[in-house]
Amino acid sequence: MQVSRRNFLQLAGLSTLGAVACNFFPEREFIAQSPSEMPEDLVTGIDNWYATLSPTGTESEGLVIRIMEGRAKKVRGNPLYPINQGSHSVRAEASLQALYHPDRISNPMVRTGNRGDGQYRPIDWNQSFDILRSQLQNLSDGTKLLSITNPLTGSLAHIIKTFSEEFGSRHTSFQPLEETVFNSTVKNLFGQDTLPTFDLKNCAFLLSFGSDFLSTWLSPVQFAKGFGEFRQGTNRTRGTFVQVDSRFSMTAANADQWIPLKPGMEGKLALSMAQVIVSEELVPQTTIESMNTGNTFAELQNALAPFAPETIVSELGIPALNHDKPEDVIRKLARDFASHGSKSIALGGGSSAAHTNGLFNLTAIYALNFLVGSVGQKGGIRFNPKAPVETLTHTSASATTTEWIKIKQAIDNGDISLLLIRNANPLHGLLNDIGIGDSLRRDDIYIVAFSTFWDETTEIADLVLPEKQFLEDWGDDVPKIGPGFQLIGMQQPVVKPIEPLNPMAFSDVMLRMANELGIASSFPLNKTTFLEVLKDNAASLHQLGRGSITEPSFDKFWNKYLQQGGWWDEQSTSIDGQPTPPMLIEIVSKHTSPSIIGPKGSNTFNLLPFQSLALTDGTGAHLPWLQSTPDPITSVVWSTWVEINTKVAEEMGLKEGDFVTIEGSNGNSIEARIYHHPAVPPNTVSIPIGQGHTSSIKYSKDRGANPLEIIGLPIVDHIGSLAWASTRIKLTPTGKSSPVPKFEGIVLAEATSEHEAVIKITRG
Amino acid sequence: MAKQHKWGMVVDIDRCIGCQACVIACQSENNVPINEEVDFLSRRAKQWIRIDRFWEGEYPNVKARFIPVFCQHCDNAPCEPVCPTYATYHNDQGLNVQVYNRCVGTRYCANNCPYQVRFFNFFNPSWPESLWNQLNPDVTVRSRGIMEKCTFCVQRIRRAERLIEGQKGEELTDQKIKDGNFMPACVNACPTDTLVFGDLNDETSEVVRKSKSDRSYRLFAELGTEPSVFYLKKVDPAAKSH
Repeated sequence: MQVSRRNFLQLAGLSTLGAVACNFFPEREFIAQSPSEMPEDLVTGIDNWYATLSPTGTESEGLVIRIMEGRAKKVRGNPLYPINQGSHSVRAEASLQALYHPDRISNPMVRTGNRGDGQYRPIDWNQSFDILRSQLQNLSDGTKLLSITNPLTGSLAHIIKTFSEEFGSRHTSFQPLEETVFNSTVKNLFGQDTLPTFDLKNCAFLLSFGSDFLSTWLSPVQFAKGFGEFRQGTNRTRGTFVQVDSRFSMTAANADQWIPLKPGMEGKLALSMAQVIVSEELVPQTTIESMNTGNTFAELQNALAPFAPETIVSELGIPALNHDKPEDVIRKLARDFASHGSKSIALGGGSSAAHTNGLFNLTAIYALNFLVGSVGQKGGIRFNPKAPVETLTHTSASATTTEWIKIKQAIDNGDISLLLIRNANPLHGLLNDIGIGDSLRRDDIYIVAFSTFWDETTEIADLVLPEKQFLEDWGDDVPKIGPGFQLIGMQQPVVKPIEPLNPMAFSDVMLRMANELGIASSFPLNKTTFLEVLKDNAASLHQLGRGSITEPSFDKFWNKYLQQGGWWDEQSTSIDGQPTPPMLIEIVSKHTSPSIIGPKGSNTFNLLPFQSLALTDGTGAHLPWLQSTPDPITSVVWSTWVEINTKVAEEMGLKEGDFVTIEGSNGNSIEARIYHHPAVPPNTVSIPIGQGHTSSIKYSKDRGANPLEIIGLPIVDHIGSLAWASTRIKLTPTGKSSPVPKFEGIVLAEATSEHEAVIKITRG
Repeated sequence: MAKQHKWGMVVDIDRCIGCQACVIACQSENNVPINEEVDFLSRRAKQWIRIDRFWEGEYPNVKARFIPVFCQHCDNAPCEPVCPTYATYHNDQGLNVQVYNRCVGTRYCANNCPYQVRFFNFFNPSWPESLWNQLNPDVTVRSRGIMEKCTFCVQRIRRAERLIEGQKGEELTDQKIKDGNFMPACVNACPTDTLVFGDLNDETSEVVRKSKSDRSYRLFAELGTEPSVFYLKKVDPAAKSH
């Protein structure tokens, strides 16, 4: 309708102007009156969304990537992918910045100066292949080659494993805070080679010991997905969650009850719960008998008697909570846990595994699941079947600290003289005390580094080969923590590398080397490209004729495999062998306390390092989105901080932002700023790992400190992993101070901090 | 004629775990400049959606609560009448819209917003050249001197309208929004399904159903701002009753 000036004036005279105006002046007329057309109002092009996956860390997230004009614009979780079901983490989002990071390595480089002084000369790929081949051929013995990669699964793990076998060399994976203790517990207790998942969606009572499973532990997006349903899913009662933890983590913040305790006492608390459950006969007698074969009930009670809450409470270091005495807290916890039967889950990991007695802790914790009958049950611990195709069942185990010490010795003895390092940064993530840095800087070894970015390890390599970022590369993945059924994730290149970047896929380089070295007689080394390997494995999946894709022709199967971002079969849940309950008396007989090393006396604390939500172990430190992601609890960004109890800090005269020297158990020290934290137990402090990089890459260089430099060499008994939570430190003020960079305080949070309308909390 | 929409959101605080996935997803989608360390130190960091964390109690009976806060797209928005240039106005779909090239940077709107969700560009944004490749062509890169804030990812809504209502002539339903990647970026990313987006005019939509929950309330409802965002209260069996 046309509105003339005269009409308008007539209408303006009406008392109903407001209502009439709404009809006469639709929004688009306002827009037409001003030159305000913004991109938001225009169609700028057609976008395409391609499925792929992010193979970072232990967690693989299925993604769909928005592509416009050959550029990746946005990450979204793949709604079909069973692990993350459409959601994604900050780490997956930041993969876009990894793709377009200004400091990507563009060409192969060969070292021209002294090791570590950063002088390199660009070469072409053919020259790189010549150098690499001659290095491999010149080895007197295949065992002198060691390949170090990030943890691998699926087809790529198969390639590296076969290459190592054919060449006679060694291969190991590197993860700063590896999970060997958890893996061993799963194998010992449940008899499974694959790791289980936790059915949080159907769980009623969740008890977690030390694991930050909503933030960084194992498969946080998968767990968060289940946790949302656990809280407010349809057709279910809200679940109860208790976190037992020496640190107030993001996961602890989400618990209905947080129970702090002395570091390393998680296993003894689990046995104390077992004592209550057994002595009060809170579960069927047959269940108790199944965990007490060969002994009488009285013998079991006697064995558990020292763990009765009243007896052991002082050792556990649990404070009174909400006016409940600590022994009553334990007793109530055991009763609540038992009352939910097979819908109760006890899970442990993180700091509870990272003590010298970590294996005992996890064994005692996971044994609780047998007591309540939640092993293998809906709402309990669900096991993951093996991959359906033999060639996809391979994984690479991460070396433990003890194994790294042996590797260092082998390098020093001359038993290893060539290293292929791919997407691993042991110079930042391995403990100083192992001394791997000195070994890698020797003149008599040759280091080939495959990497997308410069990092501490790449910067001392002899030959640097730029690798494709995962959004440019092929791959597949068998998630370490599967969804409870068979799942193969598919990764496809969604963009091409942009000039002048000239990377290659690590897999293709290894296949080419295998061919040129004459060791390519069997699958998968007999293939020319990684894509051919993937297609062969996909053909095996196609032949199964089941699961999420049942197309008659392989071409159609392959297309759908790429479109869906993987293949899965929700019906294939059967596992090899059924777990048999452990004997409680045997677990009791192995109980130990942690051996905590480090300074004692005034101003000393237990140190609990942790992986920050965004940077995790430091692999994301060069990505500005991750650096600027506020820590969920402290909101600190771009730096390293020391979380210390507010009252303790005030007693020590430490204000927020004061720098302290943190002296560790090995006598080394780092500096970081104080952050006042009301929920830190008075006898502990926490410091995130992930910062403290010295490499020249933008955004991460010379930022914060790395607590792994000061924790000495505490080792988990029987396993050899790093007991990173079994150390103490001493704090000394430096006299320096500067503001802590954090989001807290930037906006006045009055809308959410004090006003009753916001903090309304209802009874469940 | 296409159905009149009124876009709104439900935030279930009992599901929120504080993982920041929404925060970074928003920055990626909406070309929010990189928040460098100096931006935090000078209190000029921008987050269209933020997770407020607040403490309750003292050690050991201490709790941290998370609440995602973003523009509430108020029906009676305090930011709108104070803008001298009509740069912020209410559109016919319930969105509180910021027209960047009308904005002259008086910052009156930010002063008048009780939710503290408006951010001012003190400087021109900058990215290393290679990171330009990631910028979203559907979203204006805001220059120095103007305000910015959550738009409910209006560019996605526009795209959905054009494709579903304009080209296909179909009704834009909840399911089509979900299937077509038309939800705001924060809603897409959230791993616990804390955030639900939809049409408040559609009685069958999830957002309407959830907004009628007995846990539902609105931030600063007593101010009469009539927000389009509904919060569902945290459930805490041990909490003192408020």
